[in-house]
Amino acid sequence: MVSKKIVIVGHFGVGKTSLIRRFVEDIFSEDYKVTIGVHILKKTVEINDKEINLILWDTEGTDDIEEIRKAYLLGTHGFIFVCDLSRPITYKNIESQIDYLKTNFNNVPILSIGNKSDLLPKGSISGKKEEMSFLDMLVSAKEGNNVQRLFEKMAKMLF
Amino acid sequence: MTEDEKLALLKTILLTDAREHSESISLKINALEEILREKQKLSDKISPIIREELEIFASNMPENLGPSITKTLKRQVTESKDEVVEALFPILGKMVKKYISQEMKILTETVNKTAKDTFSVAGIKRKFTSIFTGVSEKEMIVSQLGDAQIEQVFVIEKGSGILLGKFQIKETVDEDMISGMLTAIKAFVEDAFKETGHDLQSIEYDLYEIHLHSFHKYYIATAVSGTFTETLENDLENFNLEVSQEINKKEILTSRPELEKLLLDRYETIKLSKQ
Repeated sequence: MVSKKIVIVGHFGVGKTSLIRRFVEDIFSEDYKVTIGVHILKKTVEINDKEINLILWDTEGTDDIEEIRKAYLLGTHGFIFVCDLSRPITYKNIESQIDYLKTNFNNVPILSIGNKSDLLPKGSISGKKEEMSFLDMLVSAKEGNNVQRLFEKMAKMLF
Repeated sequence: MTEDEKLALLKTILLTDAREHSESISLKINALEEILREKQKLSDKISPIIREELEIFASNMPENLGPSITKTLKRQVTESKDEVVEALFPILGKMVKKYISQEMKILTETVNKTAKDTFSVAGIKRKFTSIFTGVSEKEMIVSQLGDAQIEQVFVIEKGSGILLGKFQIKETVDEDMISGMLTAIKAFVEDAFKETGHDLQSIEYDLYEIHLHSFHKYYIATAVSGTFTETLENDLENFNLEVSQEINKKEILTSRPELEKLLLDRYETIKLSKQ
């Protein structure tokens, strides 16, 4: 079975850990626990009848992506950049952050996503999606919306 | 009405109220005196109040008294070490004694079982060695029981921490996650002391040691149990180097089944002996 390293990056409190926990364990907790260093989880997905091991590196939140220990990002096969839809500061510099990843990590696939779509008023999601066209997907770790699809999309991008 | 009659009437009016009032006070005082004198009656009145106060006190005790108790205990332990040791010694001593006797029992059983296995090749070899060297068989067995043993071997890609191949004598928790975390720990330590430019070489936990030997594209993590000496460490390093040369020669780094077959062939037969 093939294994791929996926690193989840983004600001503090955007919901990186919640996203992974929703995907791997299908649970969500309102308690906020700060990730220190890095935490690693794994989930196997099936793409085109082939099983792939996704090794998910959950990094600690940083204001600037360059603050993440570079050694944690080495050998990454795909990045997921997470923003909080309710906090503009978390996606203000998204372009430069994505550029940094592209330049330093061999153009590996990157997905930029907006988390906490459950906080948006009902019926406003499609409007928000158009408004934030720089994001690939809007997800909700709390309600589970699009979480499975996000990781499957990433797995497909790796083949 | 005469002056005397008027005066008598006025006295009656004034003194009747005062007398009634003083009589009622006197009655109340008598009742109180009775309560105080009779224990049961006093208890009936005061007990509910004391009980309520006690309940409040008990529920607030950890917050109110906790810090003072801890402080007092600490001081008491520091100031009267001998008394504390004397008090704890019988309890701890019994626990240690029980643990050691249990471990000795297991050791004796293992020694006896191995000694009874007379007709195995190892048994016959041991007997001959014992005759020629003069060292008793049981001593030789005890010495061998402490030998280091390779429990697990992981070949891990540098940087990504992806597990390329593994060998293990018993199942553990998820080896992919272990590989990732080992790589993260290695990266963290090496990053923290980057001025030295050295690799993290081993991690110790409980009775195990994990030895990390780095090569160009990957590193080999070997978990060893038992008594591991400097000499054995060198032997293991040389052995891992040999395995690495074989991996490179056969170009099987990206073929997990072939890599794991090689690891099984090589590590299953390795003997890390002090002799």
